[in-house]
Amino acid sequence: MSKQGKSIWDTLENIPREVLYGILLVVFVIPMIYPLGLPIPVSANTQKWYQTIEALPPGSVVMIDFGYSGGGEPELGPMAVAVYHHLFRKGGIKVICMSTSIEGPQLWDKAMAELRPEEKYGVQYGVDYINIGYIAGTETAMAAIGKDLRATTSTDYKGNPLSQYTIMDGITDASSFDLLLCYTTGGDQSEGWVRQWYTVYETPYMCSVLAMMVPTMLPYQNAGQIISVTSGAQAGEMETLVRVPARGIKSADVITLTHLLCLVYVAVGNIAYLGKRFSGGSK
Amino acid sequence: MSTTLKKTIPVAIVFVVALIVMMDYFIIMPPVDTAGKSWTNTAVRDLQNWGVILTAFSLGFGAVNLFYFHSKHISRRTPNQWQFSLWLLIVIVIFTVTGVAMGPSSDQYNWLYNASYFALSATVYSSLGFYMTSGLYRALRLKNVESGIFLVVGLIVLAKNAPAMAVYFPVLGTWVSFISDVLTTSAQRGIMIGGALGAISLGIRTMTGRETGFLGRLTEEERGGGGTA
Repeated sequence: MSKQGKSIWDTLENIPREVLYGILLVVFVIPMIYPLGLPIPVSANTQKWYQTIEALPPGSVVMIDFGYSGGGEPELGPMAVAVYHHLFRKGGIKVICMSTSIEGPQLWDKAMAELRPEEKYGVQYGVDYINIGYIAGTETAMAAIGKDLRATTSTDYKGNPLSQYTIMDGITDASSFDLLLCYTTGGDQSEGWVRQWYTVYETPYMCSVLAMMVPTMLPYQNAGQIISVTSGAQAGEMETLVRVPARGIKSADVITLTHLLCLVYVAVGNIAYLGKRFSGGSK
Repeated sequence: MSTTLKKTIPVAIVFVVALIVMMDYFIIMPPVDTAGKSWTNTAVRDLQNWGVILTAFSLGFGAVNLFYFHSKHISRRTPNQWQFSLWLLIVIVIFTVTGVAMGPSSDQYNWLYNASYFALSATVYSSLGFYMTSGLYRALRLKNVESGIFLVVGLIVLAKNAPAMAVYFPVLGTWVSFISDVLTTSAQRGIMIGGALGAISLGIRTMTGRETGFLGRLTEEERGGGGTA
Protein backbone atom coordinates (compact mmCIF):
# COMPACT_ATOMS: atom_id res chain seq x y z
CA MET A 1 0.00 0.00 0.00
CA SER A 2 1.28 3.49 -0.81
CA LYS A 3 1.90 6.16 1.85
CA GLN A 4 -1.13 8.11 0.67
CA GLY A 5 -3.35 5.07 1.23
CA LYS A 6 -5.78 3.60 -1.23
CA SER A 7 -7.14 5.83 -3.98
CA ILE A 8 -10.81 5.78 -4.90
CA TRP A 9 -9.87 3.80 -8.01
CA ASP A 10 -8.21 1.13 -5.88
CA THR A 11 -11.28 0.87 -3.69
CA LEU A 12 -13.58 0.70 -6.67
CA GLU A 13 -11.42 -1.83 -8.46
CA ASN A 14 -11.30 -4.12 -5.48
CA ILE A 15 -14.87 -4.10 -4.28
CA PRO A 16 -15.16 -7.16 -2.01
CA ARG A 17 -16.90 -10.04 -3.69
CA GLU A 18 -19.35 -10.23 -0.78
CA VAL A 19 -20.68 -6.81 -1.83
CA LEU A 20 -20.97 -7.91 -5.47
CA TYR A 21 -22.75 -11.10 -4.42
CA GLY A 22 -25.04 -9.19 -2.03
CA ILE A 23 -26.20 -6.74 -4.69
CA LEU A 24 -26.75 -9.61 -7.13
CA LEU A 25 -28.82 -11.46 -4.54
CA VAL A 26 -31.04 -8.41 -3.93
CA VAL A 27 -31.51 -7.86 -7.69
CA PHE A 28 -32.32 -11.56 -8.03
CA VAL A 29 -34.80 -11.81 -5.17
CA ILE A 30 -36.86 -8.64 -5.69
CA PRO A 31 -38.41 -9.60 -9.07
CA MET A 32 -39.02 -13.12 -7.77
CA ILE A 33 -41.18 -11.68 -4.98
CA TYR A 34 -42.61 -8.72 -6.90
CA PRO A 35 -42.71 -9.59 -10.64
CA LEU A 36 -42.14 -6.43 -12.67
CA GLY A 37 -43.86 -7.60 -15.85
CA LEU A 38 -41.07 -6.37 -18.11
CA PRO A 39 -41.66 -7.03 -21.82
CA ILE A 40 -40.53 -10.34 -23.30
CA PRO A 41 -39.66 -10.39 -27.01
CA VAL A 42 -40.35 -13.57 -28.93
CA SER A 43 -37.21 -14.47 -30.84
CA ALA A 44 -37.20 -15.94 -34.35
CA ASN A 45 -36.02 -19.32 -33.07
CA THR A 46 -38.74 -19.63 -30.44
CA GLN A 47 -41.28 -18.62 -33.08
CA LYS A 48 -39.88 -21.24 -35.46
CA TRP A 49 -40.08 -23.89 -32.72
CA TYR A 50 -43.70 -22.94 -32.01
CA GLN A 51 -44.65 -22.93 -35.71
CA THR A 52 -43.06 -26.35 -36.28
CA ILE A 53 -45.26 -27.91 -33.59
CA GLU A 54 -48.25 -25.93 -34.80
CA ALA A 55 -47.76 -27.37 -38.31
CA LEU A 56 -47.76 -31.01 -37.14
CA PRO A 57 -50.72 -32.86 -38.65
CA PRO A 58 -53.05 -34.83 -36.33
CA GLY A 59 -51.70 -38.30 -35.58
CA SER A 60 -48.09 -37.14 -35.58
CA VAL A 61 -45.69 -38.83 -33.19
CA VAL A 62 -43.15 -36.75 -31.28
CA MET A 63 -40.11 -38.13 -29.46
CA ILE A 64 -38.83 -36.07 -26.54
CA ASP A 65 -35.50 -36.61 -24.84
CA PHE A 66 -35.42 -35.42 -21.23
CA GLY A 67 -31.65 -35.29 -21.35
CA TYR A 68 -30.98 -32.75 -18.63
CA SER A 69 -29.79 -33.09 -15.07
CA GLY A 70 -31.15 -31.60 -11.86
CA GLY A 71 -28.73 -28.68 -12.05
CA GLY A 72 -30.21 -27.61 -15.38
CA GLU A 73 -33.84 -28.05 -14.37
CA PRO A 74 -34.47 -24.44 -13.33
CA GLU A 75 -33.43 -23.38 -16.84
CA LEU A 76 -34.74 -26.22 -19.01
CA GLY A 77 -37.70 -27.43 -16.97
CA PRO A 78 -39.97 -24.44 -17.73
CA MET A 79 -39.27 -24.80 -21.46
CA ALA A 80 -40.08 -28.53 -21.38
CA VAL A 81 -43.33 -27.85 -19.53
CA ALA A 82 -44.37 -25.03 -21.89
CA VAL A 83 -43.78 -27.23 -24.96
CA TYR A 84 -45.76 -30.08 -23.40
CA HIS A 85 -48.61 -27.59 -22.86
CA HIS A 86 -48.46 -26.74 -26.55
CA LEU A 87 -48.43 -30.40 -27.66
CA PHE A 88 -51.31 -31.38 -25.39
CA ARG A 89 -53.38 -28.31 -26.19
CA LYS A 90 -52.97 -28.89 -29.91
CA GLY A 91 -54.32 -32.41 -29.46
CA GLY A 92 -54.05 -35.49 -31.65
CA ILE A 93 -50.30 -35.71 -31.11
CA LYS A 94 -48.67 -38.78 -29.59
CA VAL A 95 -45.84 -37.79 -27.28
CA ILE A 96 -43.24 -40.40 -26.41
CA CYS A 97 -40.54 -39.44 -23.96
CA MET A 98 -37.22 -41.08 -23.17
CA SER A 99 -34.14 -39.98 -21.26
CA THR A 100 -30.48 -40.03 -22.09
CA SER A 101 -29.84 -38.54 -18.64
CA ILE A 102 -30.12 -40.85 -15.67
CA GLU A 103 -32.11 -38.20 -13.81
CA GLY A 104 -34.53 -37.78 -16.71
CA PRO A 105 -37.40 -39.94 -15.37
CA GLN A 106 -37.47 -38.05 -12.06
CA LEU A 107 -37.39 -34.70 -13.85
CA TRP A 108 -40.13 -35.85 -16.19
CA ASP A 109 -42.27 -36.76 -13.16
CA LYS A 110 -41.60 -33.28 -11.83
CA ALA A 111 -42.70 -31.73 -15.12
CA MET A 112 -45.87 -33.84 -15.18
CA ALA A 113 -46.69 -32.81 -11.61
CA GLU A 114 -46.50 -29.19 -12.80
CA LEU A 115 -48.51 -29.93 -15.98
CA ARG A 116 -51.24 -32.21 -14.60
CA PRO A 117 -52.07 -33.32 -18.20
CA GLU A 118 -54.99 -35.63 -17.34
CA GLU A 119 -56.72 -32.87 -15.40
CA LYS A 120 -55.99 -29.97 -17.76
CA TYR A 121 -56.15 -31.56 -21.19
CA GLY A 122 -57.93 -34.87 -20.63
CA VAL A 123 -55.04 -36.82 -22.10
CA GLN A 124 -54.20 -40.28 -20.84
CA TYR A 125 -50.90 -41.95 -19.99
CA GLY A 126 -50.25 -44.82 -22.38
CA VAL A 127 -52.74 -43.50 -24.92
CA ASP A 128 -51.60 -39.94 -25.65
CA TYR A 129 -48.25 -39.82 -23.92
CA ILE A 130 -45.73 -42.15 -22.34
CA ASN A 131 -42.25 -42.24 -20.86
CA ILE A 132 -40.09 -45.18 -21.90
CA GLY A 133 -37.48 -44.27 -19.30
CA TYR A 134 -33.73 -43.89 -19.14
CA ILE A 135 -31.72 -45.68 -21.79
CA ALA A 136 -28.02 -45.94 -20.95
CA GLY A 137 -25.30 -45.29 -23.48
CA THR A 138 -26.12 -41.79 -24.78
CA GLU A 139 -25.25 -41.93 -28.52
CA THR A 140 -25.35 -45.72 -28.59
CA ALA A 141 -28.81 -45.52 -27.02
CA MET A 142 -29.94 -42.98 -29.61
CA ALA A 143 -28.67 -45.18 -32.43
CA ALA A 144 -30.22 -48.32 -30.93
CA ILE A 145 -33.62 -46.68 -30.38
CA GLY A 146 -33.53 -45.29 -33.90
CA LYS A 147 -32.78 -48.67 -35.38
CA ASP A 148 -35.21 -50.78 -33.34
CA LEU A 149 -36.98 -49.26 -30.35
CA ARG A 150 -38.63 -52.48 -29.18
CA ALA A 151 -35.34 -54.41 -29.25
CA THR A 152 -33.71 -51.75 -27.08
CA THR A 153 -36.40 -51.38 -24.45
CA SER A 154 -39.54 -53.37 -23.80
CA THR A 155 -40.90 -51.48 -20.78
CA ASP A 156 -41.86 -47.94 -19.83
CA TYR A 157 -40.19 -46.08 -16.96
CA LYS A 158 -42.44 -47.81 -14.44
CA GLY A 159 -41.35 -51.23 -15.69
CA ASN A 160 -44.67 -52.07 -17.40
CA PRO A 161 -44.51 -53.77 -20.82
CA LEU A 162 -44.79 -51.34 -23.74
CA SER A 163 -47.10 -53.78 -25.52
CA GLN A 164 -49.89 -52.92 -23.06
CA TYR A 165 -50.00 -49.28 -24.16
CA THR A 166 -51.94 -48.34 -27.29
CA ILE A 167 -49.69 -45.34 -27.94
CA MET A 168 -46.89 -47.75 -28.81
CA ASP A 169 -48.87 -49.48 -31.57
CA GLY A 170 -46.90 -49.18 -34.81
CA ILE A 171 -43.93 -47.49 -33.13
CA THR A 172 -40.87 -49.42 -34.22
CA ASP A 173 -37.92 -47.16 -35.00
CA ALA A 174 -36.91 -43.62 -35.92
CA SER A 175 -39.08 -43.70 -39.02
CA SER A 176 -42.15 -43.83 -36.73
CA PHE A 177 -41.47 -40.31 -35.47
CA ASP A 178 -42.39 -37.03 -37.14
CA LEU A 179 -40.43 -34.78 -34.83
CA LEU A 180 -37.65 -35.09 -32.29
CA LEU A 181 -37.24 -32.67 -29.38
CA CYS A 182 -34.35 -32.68 -26.95
CA TYR A 183 -33.82 -30.75 -23.73
CA THR A 184 -30.32 -31.19 -22.52
CA THR A 185 -27.48 -29.91 -20.41
CA GLY A 186 -24.92 -31.92 -22.39
CA GLY A 187 -23.36 -31.50 -25.82
CA ASP A 188 -23.24 -35.29 -26.24
CA GLN A 189 -27.00 -35.38 -26.38
CA SER A 190 -27.77 -32.24 -28.38
CA GLU A 191 -25.14 -33.04 -31.03
CA GLY A 192 -25.64 -36.80 -30.75
CA TRP A 193 -29.22 -36.62 -31.99
CA VAL A 194 -28.00 -34.81 -35.12
CA ARG A 195 -25.49 -37.58 -35.79
CA GLN A 196 -27.71 -40.53 -34.87
CA TRP A 197 -31.16 -39.45 -36.05
CA TYR A 198 -31.09 -36.44 -38.36
CA THR A 199 -28.13 -37.63 -40.44
CA VAL A 200 -29.34 -41.23 -40.69
CA TYR A 201 -33.14 -40.89 -40.81
CA GLU A 202 -33.60 -37.14 -41.49
CA THR A 203 -35.97 -36.87 -38.54
CA PRO A 204 -36.89 -33.19 -38.06
CA TYR A 205 -35.11 -32.11 -34.90
CA MET A 206 -35.25 -29.19 -32.45
CA CYS A 207 -33.34 -28.77 -29.22
CA SER A 208 -33.39 -26.58 -26.18
CA VAL A 209 -30.09 -26.31 -24.38
CA LEU A 210 -28.36 -24.26 -21.70
CA ALA A 211 -27.82 -20.66 -22.87
CA MET A 212 -24.05 -21.12 -22.85
CA MET A 213 -24.39 -24.10 -25.23
CA VAL A 214 -26.30 -22.21 -27.93
CA PRO A 215 -23.21 -20.99 -29.86
CA THR A 216 -22.01 -24.60 -30.16
CA MET A 217 -25.34 -25.69 -31.61
CA LEU A 218 -25.89 -22.79 -34.04
CA PRO A 219 -23.71 -24.26 -36.84
CA TYR A 220 -26.09 -27.24 -36.97
CA GLN A 221 -29.08 -24.95 -37.24
CA ASN A 222 -27.43 -22.80 -39.90
CA ALA A 223 -26.64 -25.98 -41.85
CA GLY A 224 -30.32 -27.00 -41.70
CA GLN A 225 -29.71 -30.03 -39.49
CA ILE A 226 -31.68 -28.56 -36.60
CA ILE A 227 -34.88 -26.64 -37.22
CA SER A 228 -34.53 -24.46 -34.16
CA VAL A 229 -32.12 -24.14 -31.25
CA THR A 230 -33.41 -22.35 -28.18
CA SER A 231 -32.03 -21.89 -24.72
CA GLY A 232 -33.97 -22.75 -21.61
CA ALA A 233 -33.71 -19.08 -20.69
CA GLN A 234 -36.21 -18.43 -23.51
CA ALA A 235 -38.92 -20.38 -21.70
CA GLY A 236 -40.71 -17.09 -21.01
CA GLU A 237 -41.02 -16.57 -24.78
CA MET A 238 -42.53 -20.02 -25.22
CA GLU A 239 -44.92 -19.47 -22.33
CA THR A 240 -45.98 -16.19 -23.96
CA LEU A 241 -46.71 -17.96 -27.26
CA VAL A 242 -48.46 -20.89 -25.59
CA ARG A 243 -50.27 -18.46 -23.25
CA VAL A 244 -49.42 -20.38 -20.09
CA PRO A 245 -47.57 -17.94 -17.84
CA ALA A 246 -45.38 -19.82 -15.39
CA ARG A 247 -41.79 -19.99 -14.17
CA GLY A 248 -40.30 -18.88 -17.49
CA ILE A 249 -42.05 -15.51 -17.57
CA LYS A 250 -41.24 -14.94 -13.92
CA SER A 251 -37.57 -15.68 -14.49
CA ALA A 252 -37.45 -13.32 -17.52
CA ASP A 253 -37.61 -10.34 -15.13
CA VAL A 254 -34.77 -11.84 -13.13
CA ILE A 255 -32.72 -12.45 -16.27
CA THR A 256 -33.25 -8.84 -17.46
CA LEU A 257 -32.29 -7.30 -14.12
CA THR A 258 -29.29 -9.52 -13.47
CA HIS A 259 -27.99 -8.94 -16.99
CA LEU A 260 -28.36 -5.18 -16.51
CA LEU A 261 -26.48 -5.49 -13.23
CA CYS A 262 -23.72 -7.33 -15.06
CA LEU A 263 -23.50 -4.44 -17.54
CA VAL A 264 -23.22 -2.01 -14.62
CA TYR A 265 -20.52 -4.18 -13.03
CA VAL A 266 -18.51 -4.22 -16.25
CA ALA A 267 -18.88 -0.45 -16.63
CA VAL A 268 -17.82 0.25 -13.02
CA GLY A 269 -14.94 -2.22 -13.23
CA ASN A 270 -13.64 -0.56 -16.37
CA ILE A 271 -14.07 2.97 -15.04
CA ALA A 272 -12.04 1.96 -11.99
CA TYR A 273 -9.39 0.25 -14.10
CA LEU A 274 -9.04 3.12 -16.57
CA GLY A 275 -9.23 5.75 -13.81
CA LYS A 276 -6.37 4.07 -12.00
CA ARG A 277 -4.39 3.69 -15.18
CA PHE A 278 -4.72 7.31 -16.26
CA SER A 279 -4.03 8.60 -12.77
CA GLY A 280 -0.73 6.74 -12.90
CA GLY A 281 -1.69 3.98 -10.51
CA SER A 282 -1.27 1.10 -12.96
CA LYS A 283 0.38 0.35 -16.28
CA MET B 1 -0.34 -62.61 -20.66
CA SER B 2 0.65 -62.93 -24.28
CA THR B 3 0.58 -60.04 -26.72
CA THR B 4 -1.96 -61.97 -28.79
CA LEU B 5 -4.43 -62.05 -25.91
CA LYS B 6 -3.71 -58.53 -24.68
CA LYS B 7 -3.53 -56.70 -27.97
CA THR B 8 -4.08 -58.67 -31.17
CA ILE B 9 -7.46 -60.21 -30.31
CA PRO B 10 -9.01 -56.99 -28.82
CA VAL B 11 -7.81 -54.95 -31.81
CA ALA B 12 -9.20 -57.57 -34.21
CA ILE B 13 -12.59 -57.41 -32.42
CA VAL B 14 -12.58 -53.60 -32.62
CA PHE B 15 -11.65 -53.75 -36.31
CA VAL B 16 -14.44 -56.20 -37.21
CA VAL B 17 -17.10 -54.40 -35.13
CA ALA B 18 -16.16 -50.98 -36.51
CA LEU B 19 -16.17 -52.35 -40.04
CA ILE B 20 -19.65 -53.88 -39.68
CA VAL B 21 -21.07 -50.65 -38.18
CA MET B 22 -19.56 -48.56 -40.98
CA MET B 23 -20.70 -51.01 -43.66
CA ASP B 24 -24.25 -50.79 -42.33
CA TYR B 25 -24.17 -47.02 -42.68
CA PHE B 26 -22.54 -46.70 -46.08
CA ILE B 27 -23.47 -49.81 -48.10
CA ILE B 28 -26.30 -52.35 -48.32
CA MET B 29 -24.69 -55.78 -48.12
CA PRO B 30 -26.58 -58.72 -49.65
CA PRO B 31 -28.53 -60.79 -48.74
CA VAL B 32 -31.35 -58.23 -48.28
CA ASP B 33 -34.62 -59.19 -46.57
CA THR B 34 -38.15 -58.29 -47.71
CA ALA B 35 -38.00 -55.02 -45.77
CA GLY B 36 -34.91 -54.03 -47.78
CA LYS B 37 -32.58 -54.43 -44.82
CA SER B 38 -29.25 -56.22 -45.08
CA TRP B 39 -27.75 -58.66 -42.58
CA THR B 40 -25.53 -55.89 -41.23
CA ASN B 41 -28.66 -54.10 -40.01
CA THR B 42 -29.50 -56.92 -37.60
CA ALA B 43 -25.88 -57.31 -36.57
CA VAL B 44 -25.49 -53.59 -35.82
CA ARG B 45 -28.81 -53.53 -33.96
CA ASP B 46 -27.56 -56.31 -31.70
CA LEU B 47 -24.17 -54.67 -31.24
CA GLN B 48 -25.83 -51.39 -30.26
CA ASN B 49 -28.07 -53.15 -27.78
CA TRP B 50 -25.03 -54.85 -26.29
CA GLY B 51 -23.55 -51.37 -25.96
CA VAL B 52 -26.63 -50.15 -24.10
CA ILE B 53 -26.53 -53.18 -21.77
CA LEU B 54 -22.80 -52.83 -21.15
CA THR B 55 -23.20 -49.14 -20.31
CA ALA B 56 -26.01 -49.96 -17.87
CA PHE B 57 -23.83 -52.69 -16.38
CA SER B 58 -20.92 -50.29 -16.02
CA LEU B 59 -23.14 -47.99 -13.93
CA GLY B 60 -23.75 -50.84 -11.49
CA PHE B 61 -20.10 -51.80 -11.62
CA GLY B 62 -19.17 -48.18 -10.88
CA ALA B 63 -21.37 -48.25 -7.78
CA VAL B 64 -19.63 -51.42 -6.57
CA ASN B 65 -16.24 -49.86 -7.24
CA LEU B 66 -17.32 -46.75 -5.33
CA PHE B 67 -18.24 -48.95 -2.38
CA TYR B 68 -14.86 -50.69 -2.50
CA PHE B 69 -12.90 -47.45 -2.79
CA HIS B 70 -14.69 -45.58 0.00
CA SER B 71 -14.85 -48.59 2.33
CA LYS B 72 -11.05 -48.51 2.35
CA HIS B 73 -11.09 -44.86 3.43
CA ILE B 74 -13.51 -45.69 6.24
CA SER B 75 -11.62 -48.71 7.50
CA ARG B 76 -8.32 -46.77 7.40
CA ARG B 77 -9.93 -43.67 8.96
CA THR B 78 -8.27 -41.47 6.31
CA PRO B 79 -8.05 -37.97 7.85
CA ASN B 80 -10.56 -35.43 6.47
CA GLN B 81 -12.00 -38.05 4.18
CA TRP B 82 -13.53 -41.02 5.96
CA GLN B 83 -16.54 -39.11 7.29
CA PHE B 84 -17.46 -38.03 3.77
CA SER B 85 -16.92 -41.55 2.46
CA LEU B 86 -19.23 -42.89 5.16
CA TRP B 87 -21.88 -40.32 4.32
CA LEU B 88 -21.60 -41.18 0.62
CA LEU B 89 -22.12 -44.89 1.31
CA ILE B 90 -25.09 -44.18 3.58
CA VAL B 91 -26.71 -42.09 0.85
CA ILE B 92 -26.05 -44.76 -1.80
CA VAL B 93 -27.64 -47.39 0.44
CA ILE B 94 -30.70 -45.22 1.16
CA PHE B 95 -31.25 -44.48 -2.54
CA THR B 96 -30.64 -48.07 -3.61
CA VAL B 97 -32.90 -49.61 -0.97
CA THR B 98 -35.70 -47.12 -1.69
CA GLY B 99 -35.35 -47.58 -5.44
CA VAL B 100 -35.33 -51.36 -5.27
CA ALA B 101 -38.05 -51.69 -2.64
CA MET B 102 -40.46 -48.97 -3.79
CA GLY B 103 -39.44 -48.58 -7.44
CA PRO B 104 -37.53 -45.72 -9.07
CA SER B 105 -40.76 -44.02 -10.14
CA SER B 106 -42.39 -44.27 -6.71
CA ASP B 107 -43.41 -41.20 -4.72
CA GLN B 108 -40.93 -42.13 -2.01
CA TYR B 109 -37.99 -42.28 -4.41
CA ASN B 110 -39.07 -39.07 -6.13
CA TRP B 111 -39.36 -37.33 -2.76
CA LEU B 112 -35.89 -38.49 -1.82
CA TYR B 113 -34.49 -37.27 -5.12
CA ASN B 114 -36.29 -33.91 -5.06
CA ALA B 115 -35.55 -33.21 -1.41
CA SER B 116 -31.86 -34.04 -1.55
CA TYR B 117 -30.00 -34.48 -4.82
CA PHE B 118 -32.15 -32.22 -7.00
CA ALA B 119 -32.12 -29.35 -4.52
CA LEU B 120 -28.37 -29.60 -3.97
CA SER B 121 -27.60 -30.01 -7.65
CA ALA B 122 -29.68 -26.97 -8.64
CA THR B 123 -28.13 -24.93 -5.82
CA VAL B 124 -24.56 -25.77 -6.77
CA TYR B 125 -25.22 -25.01 -10.43
CA SER B 126 -27.00 -21.75 -9.59
CA SER B 127 -24.14 -20.62 -7.37
CA LEU B 128 -22.04 -20.38 -10.54
CA GLY B 129 -23.99 -17.21 -11.31
CA PHE B 130 -22.30 -15.50 -8.36
CA TYR B 131 -18.81 -16.55 -9.40
CA MET B 132 -19.46 -15.50 -12.99
CA THR B 133 -20.70 -12.07 -11.93
CA SER B 134 -17.65 -11.50 -9.77
CA GLY B 135 -15.41 -12.79 -12.58
CA LEU B 136 -17.13 -10.46 -15.02
CA TYR B 137 -16.41 -7.49 -12.77
CA ARG B 138 -12.73 -8.30 -12.43
CA ALA B 139 -11.80 -9.85 -15.77
CA LEU B 140 -13.77 -8.09 -18.51
CA ARG B 141 -11.52 -5.03 -18.78
CA LEU B 142 -10.29 -2.79 -21.56
CA LYS B 143 -6.60 -3.64 -21.34
CA ASN B 144 -5.67 -3.82 -25.03
CA VAL B 145 -7.25 -4.11 -28.48
CA GLU B 146 -8.02 -7.84 -28.13
CA SER B 147 -9.69 -7.44 -24.75
CA GLY B 148 -11.51 -4.38 -26.14
CA ILE B 149 -13.05 -6.47 -28.94
CA PHE B 150 -13.94 -9.15 -26.41
CA LEU B 151 -15.48 -6.52 -24.14
CA VAL B 152 -17.61 -4.93 -26.86
CA VAL B 153 -18.88 -8.28 -28.20
CA GLY B 154 -19.54 -9.49 -24.66
CA LEU B 155 -21.52 -6.37 -23.77
CA ILE B 156 -23.66 -6.59 -26.92
CA VAL B 157 -24.52 -10.25 -26.32
CA LEU B 158 -25.10 -9.62 -22.62
CA ALA B 159 -27.46 -6.73 -23.37
CA LYS B 160 -29.34 -8.68 -26.02
CA ASN B 161 -29.82 -11.64 -23.70
CA ALA B 162 -31.69 -9.42 -21.25
CA PRO B 163 -35.24 -9.94 -22.60
CA ALA B 164 -36.48 -6.39 -21.93
CA MET B 165 -33.36 -4.81 -23.47
CA ALA B 166 -34.01 -6.70 -26.70
CA VAL B 167 -37.46 -5.09 -26.81
CA TYR B 168 -36.29 -1.54 -26.15
CA PHE B 169 -33.22 -1.78 -28.41
CA PRO B 170 -34.18 -4.04 -31.35
CA VAL B 171 -30.92 -3.21 -33.10
CA LEU B 172 -29.21 -5.49 -30.59
CA GLY B 173 -30.94 -8.43 -32.30
CA THR B 174 -29.37 -7.53 -35.65
CA TRP B 175 -25.92 -7.20 -34.13
CA VAL B 176 -26.16 -10.45 -32.22
CA SER B 177 -27.46 -12.25 -35.33
CA PHE B 178 -24.32 -11.16 -37.14
CA ILE B 179 -22.10 -12.21 -34.24
CA SER B 180 -23.72 -15.62 -33.87
CA ASP B 181 -24.50 -16.46 -37.50
CA VAL B 182 -21.26 -15.24 -39.03
CA LEU B 183 -18.49 -14.93 -36.45
CA THR B 184 -19.45 -17.67 -33.99
CA THR B 185 -20.69 -20.13 -36.58
CA SER B 186 -17.58 -19.85 -38.73
CA ALA B 187 -15.27 -20.27 -35.73
CA GLN B 188 -17.33 -23.15 -34.36
CA ARG B 189 -17.37 -24.89 -37.74
CA GLY B 190 -13.59 -24.74 -37.85
CA ILE B 191 -13.38 -26.28 -34.38
CA MET B 192 -15.99 -28.93 -35.24
CA ILE B 193 -14.39 -29.93 -38.52
CA GLY B 194 -11.00 -30.13 -36.81
CA GLY B 195 -12.50 -32.28 -34.05
CA ALA B 196 -14.23 -34.54 -36.56
CA LEU B 197 -11.01 -35.06 -38.53
CA GLY B 198 -9.26 -35.88 -35.28
CA ALA B 199 -12.00 -38.38 -34.38
CA ILE B 200 -11.70 -40.06 -37.81
CA SER B 201 -7.94 -40.26 -37.41
CA LEU B 202 -8.29 -41.69 -33.89
CA GLY B 203 -10.85 -44.21 -35.17
CA ILE B 204 -8.55 -45.42 -37.94
CA ARG B 205 -5.60 -45.63 -35.55
CA THR B 206 -7.70 -47.60 -33.04
CA MET B 207 -8.99 -49.96 -35.74
CA THR B 208 -5.51 -50.66 -36.99
CA GLY B 209 -4.02 -51.13 -33.53
CA ARG B 210 -1.85 -48.01 -33.58
CA GLU B 211 -3.82 -46.43 -30.76
CA THR B 212 -3.86 -48.76 -27.76
CA GLY B 213 -5.07 -46.48 -24.97
CA PHE B 214 -8.36 -48.38 -24.68
CA LEU B 215 -6.47 -51.60 -23.87
CA GLY B 216 -5.11 -50.24 -20.60
CA ARG B 217 -1.44 -50.33 -19.62
CA LEU B 218 0.75 -52.14 -22.16
CA THR B 219 4.49 -52.60 -22.30
CA GLU B 220 6.50 -51.04 -25.11
CA GLU B 221 6.82 -54.46 -26.71
CA GLU B 222 3.07 -55.16 -26.47
CA ARG B 223 2.35 -51.78 -28.02
CA GLY B 224 4.43 -52.90 -30.96
CA GLY B 225 7.22 -50.41 -30.37
CA GLY B 226 9.88 -53.09 -29.93
CA GLY B 227 12.69 -52.89 -27.39
CA THR B 228 12.64 -54.32 -23.92
CA ALA B 229 9.85 -53.89 -21.44
